[in-house]
Amino acid sequence: MLKKFCSALLFCLIRVATAQAQDHIDSGPGIVIKGFGTAAFTMTDTNQAEFVRSYQAAGATTRASHGVDSNFGIQAIAKFNDWFSMTGQGLVRKTSTDRYTAELALAFFRMKTSDDFTLRIGRMGLPAYLISDFRHVGFASNMMRPPNEVYRQVPADTFDGADLVFQHSYGATTLTAQLARGHSEVRFGDRTGLEFKPVTALNLIVENGPLTVRLGHTEVRFSLLDTGLPSLQGALRANGFSAVADQLAYADVKGTFTGLGLGLDWNSFVVQAEYAVRKLHTRAVTDSTSWYAMLGYRYGKFTPYYYHGSTMQDSIRDFAGMPGSGPLAGLSAAANAAIKGAQFSNNAIGLRWDFNKSAAFKLQVDRVTPVDGTGGVHKAKPGFTGPLTVVAAGIDFIF
Amino acid sequence: MKTALALLLLLIFAPMTLAFSTEIVVIVHPKNPISKMPGEQVAQFFLGKSANLGPIDQRDGSELRIEFYQKLTGKETAQVKAIWSKIVFNGKGLPPAEYASSAEVKKAVAANPLTIGYIEKSALDDSVKAVLTVP
Repeated sequence: MLKKFCSALLFCLIRVATAQAQDHIDSGPGIVIKGFGTAAFTMTDTNQAEFVRSYQAAGATTRASHGVDSNFGIQAIAKFNDWFSMTGQGLVRKTSTDRYTAELALAFFRMKTSDDFTLRIGRMGLPAYLISDFRHVGFASNMMRPPNEVYRQVPADTFDGADLVFQHSYGATTLTAQLARGHSEVRFGDRTGLEFKPVTALNLIVENGPLTVRLGHTEVRFSLLDTGLPSLQGALRANGFSAVADQLAYADVKGTFTGLGLGLDWNSFVVQAEYAVRKLHTRAVTDSTSWYAMLGYRYGKFTPYYYHGSTMQDSIRDFAGMPGSGPLAGLSAAANAAIKGAQFSNNAIGLRWDFNKSAAFKLQVDRVTPVDGTGGVHKAKPGFTGPLTVVAAGIDFIF
Repeated sequence: MKTALALLLLLIFAPMTLAFSTEIVVIVHPKNPISKMPGEQVAQFFLGKSANLGPIDQRDGSELRIEFYQKLTGKETAQVKAIWSKIVFNGKGLPPAEYASSAEVKKAVAANPLTIGYIEKSALDDSVKAVLTVP
């Protein structure tokens, strides 16, 4: 169904493109092509684990990798009149395989139904965070990457459905309210997957001059796909641990994600912070509290910044009463491993240099400290406890 | 005597400093009911916070455009582009239309009552209406 919709959208975009390609939008129909990208190299100080962004299959080690932080996106916007337009965006990056793959990041019809209301139907960015809508556009942010501490808590970037946006300015204050509903599916590097069916998100954003405050609440019914949980549950029930098995629900489970975000761009000071709480009706995916704060200062074209972030698990990390030795020790270990989520904190410093009006150079050094575990790194070798230092440098551009 | 000399020098050189700064006017369609618009409200259209009027830009890289954003918002070009990229690349809004000269900007604003643009004050005529002067 979505494939047909996307083909139809692509066909329409091509028709309009052949009619008249421009580099700006007139009052009449026309198509605009815009794009963005990041070319960056990332390396760490260890070969005992790989540093990754959300659901990437392969990450950075002491050998510099360009796959962690690089991407390229191209967007076509077809405007038919003052109230109706179509947008399609293709994004190339490394995610669930160690190859650059292209995905349809956006594909929707946009209708401005009145001065204050806009309706969009199709594939849109999942509005779970402060910068969720443009998380891939490096140029739009000061930091090298959306903070892993918070942005890996909801691994889906997009949803297919509809959203309604209300936006009104009251004097110097702009209020934006967005209600989104649809479904999402994500596949990870280990062939497991996650499905949100449905996902409902409500966002409220208040902007006044230099200050932006955002409050968001996302509710989902989710399912984990192709994991080892069905057989783990079976083994637990067969050995008399039904109560434990019941806590590892993985199908049609309710979950919520609530976040408060703040952005300040005032008199050369730049601040960005978010606080988010994830709660799920299963132990198979952990409850967590995550937050970060970034403080920067603009010296002309240079913006140095300091960052601190943390993600901690709120739900239990061990099942009480499971045998630690004997023939069922292995089963205990498997059940306990299934309910442990990544916990880590991060201190980073970085620099953004706007050497061109459409391109910026970025350098960022992160010191990631895992807490009671491997801290969200990929393919950790036995005995790896961190911390690790990550250095990334690259160029963000838009056109 | 010294005061007179100082005043004379001021009179000679003052116009030169003034010449480096252009007076800019923000324009809308003559039939637009708004007759005056405060700077903060104009900024909302040009920074994508309100889409009730479609913003029209001068050519990317032109002195007038750089000066307009500096005076109106205090922001450099890269900052303005970063703000717009947030809106455009998530599909929340459309990028501003862009024209190569003030004459074309005037034509575009005069052709569509749902637009807002900016030109040098010296280019103002009665095909468009000025709602704000940016000194």
